Amino acid sequence: MTLDYGFIWTAFVALLDVVPVTLAITVVSVLCGFVIGASVALARQFRVPVLSQLGAAYVTFIRGTPMITHLLLIYFGLPMLIDSVAAALGLSFRSVSIPMIGFAYVSFSITAGAYMSEVVRSGLLAVDRGQLEAAHAVGMTTAQAMKRIILPQALAASLPNLSNMLIGMLHGSTLAFTVSVVEINAKAQIVATTNWKFFEAYLAAALLFWGLTFLIERLTALAERRFRRYYRGGVS
Amino acid sequence: MIALNQIRKSFGRNEVLRGIDLTVQKGEVVAILGPSGSGKTTLLRCINYLEKPGGGTISIGGFTLDCRKHTKKDVYALRKKSAMVFQQYNLFRHKTALENVMEGLTVVQKLSKAEARSRSVALLEKVGLAAKLDAYPSELSGGQQQRVGIARALALEPEVILFDEPTSALDPELVGEVLSVIRQIAKEGITMIIVTHEMSFAQDVANHVVFMDGGVIVEQGEPAQVFGFPKEERTRQFLRRITPESSYSI
Repeated sequence: MTLDYGFIWTAFVALLDVVPVTLAITVVSVLCGFVIGASVALARQFRVPVLSQLGAAYVTFIRGTPMITHLLLIYFGLPMLIDSVAAALGLSFRSVSIPMIGFAYVSFSITAGAYMSEVVRSGLLAVDRGQLEAAHAVGMTTAQAMKRIILPQALAASLPNLSNMLIGMLHGSTLAFTVSVVEINAKAQIVATTNWKFFEAYLAAALLFWGLTFLIERLTALAERRFRRYYRGGVS
Repeated sequence: MIALNQIRKSFGRNEVLRGIDLTVQKGEVVAILGPSGSGKTTLLRCINYLEKPGGGTISIGGFTLDCRKHTKKDVYALRKKSAMVFQQYNLFRHKTALENVMEGLTVVQKLSKAEARSRSVALLEKVGLAAKLDAYPSELSGGQQQRVGIARALALEPEVILFDEPTSALDPELVGEVLSVIRQIAKEGITMIIVTHEMSFAQDVANHVVFMDGGVIVEQGEPAQVFGFPKEERTRQFLRRITPESSYSI
């Protein structure tokens, strides 16, 4: 077996073009997922009636089905929903004008939200109950206490899980190729079809993903160092 | 002035407080004693609503709250009248000693940062932690953490400071520094209610001693009277157990 090293490099350079697409899918789904996940986690933590049950159902369904299934359900289901709503309201908007990447954003946000809710929930559980009591005792409202005392500590505690999540969504973004979004993996395939050197193209993709993941790991380590000062051992 | 009227609290079927009446005058230092499970910590936590009483009224500094009908706002208003020093310190872990003391001043009392800072620095100096302003709780000893906790409570300038067994979690050699800080602020006329197991400290610092058992106040009065000439048999039994040297002779 001979490797075409030159073509690995050519493919690598070609793949750089679509790095923004992969990053956009990852960042959008992680950020939206965080908002969804935090809302679900808080609703469950405070046992908000209806919302907490809905949240629990959402988490078990989404975690119980594959990410690619979410994407396909959204891809085929959302247009039907949008078109019937638009027709009912007499709007001229039609689902065909939605860019393909939009479906990836929506579906991956929903996927990430379910996993993220567990990440946030474990972070909240890691914060000692005394912290909330102390915040109440100095006169804070529960909302102030959550914002200023509990959530920052919960976030610090869930940092390793958050970075795991980010890496998972980065790699998961490759599924977007099923709805013809050209991200790194799809681009590798396209590049390879010119000369059938698939191995070299996918090797370039692997190296690129590894590089991006390495970057996430370094950033996490930096953030952890910032939190470590107060987060290490000791009583409360 | 603080007045508790018929405070009741149950955890499930377990009735922990069976109608507590207690009046505390301004500037008074009240020590609450009693065996574990007597309800003393629960009573203290009811005063600032960390536990929600099942019934009764709480009045602090002219504000009265009916435990059976009140809004969230009433609870927040009641909590602003008191401050609490916890057994486990409960300092905000992600904030420095200085930030811990400032937090309530800037967020709740809406003081300017500069004002909050100068008040907090002065209080941390007072509890002997001038050198530790920027230390995180994890970098402080238990005794130092508890002194930050006391400064945090003092900063709020509340009507009353509630101490929940402030030295119970400390190593024996660190108890002294915390007690001496509490003793010092007691002299300044700050109203305090202290749940404690430190009998000699209670005898020494308190103007009023309350002995609780089984969810009721068994006996209360001046320390000399409660410690020296307890009227109730249950008080006598408790004091004998706490000070065993007087329970036998050689």
